[in-house]
Amino acid sequence: MKIAFTTKGKDWDSMMDPRFGRTEFFLVYDDETNKINYVDNSDSTQEAHGAGPKTAQKLFDLQADILITGNGPGGNAATVLKQAGLKIFTGAGEMTVKQAYEAYKQGELNIFS
Amino acid sequence: MKEIVIISGKGGTGKTSVTASFAVLGGKDVIVADCDVDAADMHILMNPDYEFSEEFFSGELALIQQEDCIQCGECKNVCRFDAIDIVNEKYIVNPLNCEGCGYCSKICPTHTILNIDLNVGNWYISNIKTGSKMVHAKLATGADNSGKLVAQVKNKAKELAEKLNKKYIIVDGSPGVGCPVVSSLSGASYVVLVTEPTVSGLHDLKRVYELVKKFNLKAGCIINKFDLNKNVSDKIEQFLSAENIDKLAKLPYDKIFTEAMTEGVTVVEYIDSRSKTTIKNTWEKIIEIIN
Repeated sequence: MKIAFTTKGKDWDSMMDPRFGRTEFFLVYDDETNKINYVDNSDSTQEAHGAGPKTAQKLFDLQADILITGNGPGGNAATVLKQAGLKIFTGAGEMTVKQAYEAYKQGELNIFS
Repeated sequence: MKEIVIISGKGGTGKTSVTASFAVLGGKDVIVADCDVDAADMHILMNPDYEFSEEFFSGELALIQQEDCIQCGECKNVCRFDAIDIVNEKYIVNPLNCEGCGYCSKICPTHTILNIDLNVGNWYISNIKTGSKMVHAKLATGADNSGKLVAQVKNKAKELAEKLNKKYIIVDGSPGVGCPVVSSLSGASYVVLVTEPTVSGLHDLKRVYELVKKFNLKAGCIINKFDLNKNVSDKIEQFLSAENIDKLAKLPYDKIFTEAMTEGVTVVEYIDSRSKTTIKNTWEKIIEIIN
């Protein structure tokens, strides 16, 4: 299963980015292979409008199963992600990636619907 | 560091008057971010010095390089925004109509149309009269606000607040419910909704609250000019109760707002009034809630 985090940095100790569409990076953790890698999202942050749907497309291409973020996507991006069948958890905006992952495992995050 | 975002949905509810008052009450503890860039007016009350200024680019604009243009007219044919005019037998882009979609540059047989980054205005960091700093922007004529510009203003405000060890960021949020508002709300610790008892005031409050709710943000509401229409005020209060939104304050219609504004100051800097006391109490209440 691939878990994507919206982050401000490239490793487990980075802070989460509460934004979805204009997040600086994605960190993608595959809990089957135990591999972690990051995706630069700076091209989406440069969009005047529509950063959300563009970022959602990227997440779809990454074939993520779960998204962990701060506030959650806006309306347009949410529609795209819903179609993609992604599960979204919010409320991790003020944590490090590691803390966010722990909170997710403990069931402490909110399900975004 | 906590981020307080003030929005209204509808314009003219008194959002900026309230925001500016909070900025004065918070004084040195507060970095101000003006994300209401379409009709920015916080600067009128904050006396900024525009210490740092930089051009801001957002969106794109088509540019026809005349020397290579074979005047085939394909660009004009495909443009859905009617943005290409023929002036003195030359094809010229009308920058006010061009949306920067890039269709023309894609189909141009001689590849003579470029899509250039659009300079939409400047953004600033200023010292303000509260003894703190403000991040703000000024748009060029015909340019519009964007999620990108709001994100820029907010990110810079956040950087400053961290660097200068400030307790709060106060964000004068963008109007409406679209992209700039989504961007204004991201990362907020608390949302203050300023509304008024009109049909559109309530309608827009409900719409923008949908977004706040979706983002799972805590919110409180100030009903401004509540005594102008008790009936709609009651409906607003019912809505707040049903949605569990903090009832922060009810402000009566008070000419003192206009008087203070005419003097170029906020209500809390002007002569003592009931409104001044209420706004002070409201600020204290918000600080209590978020800490």
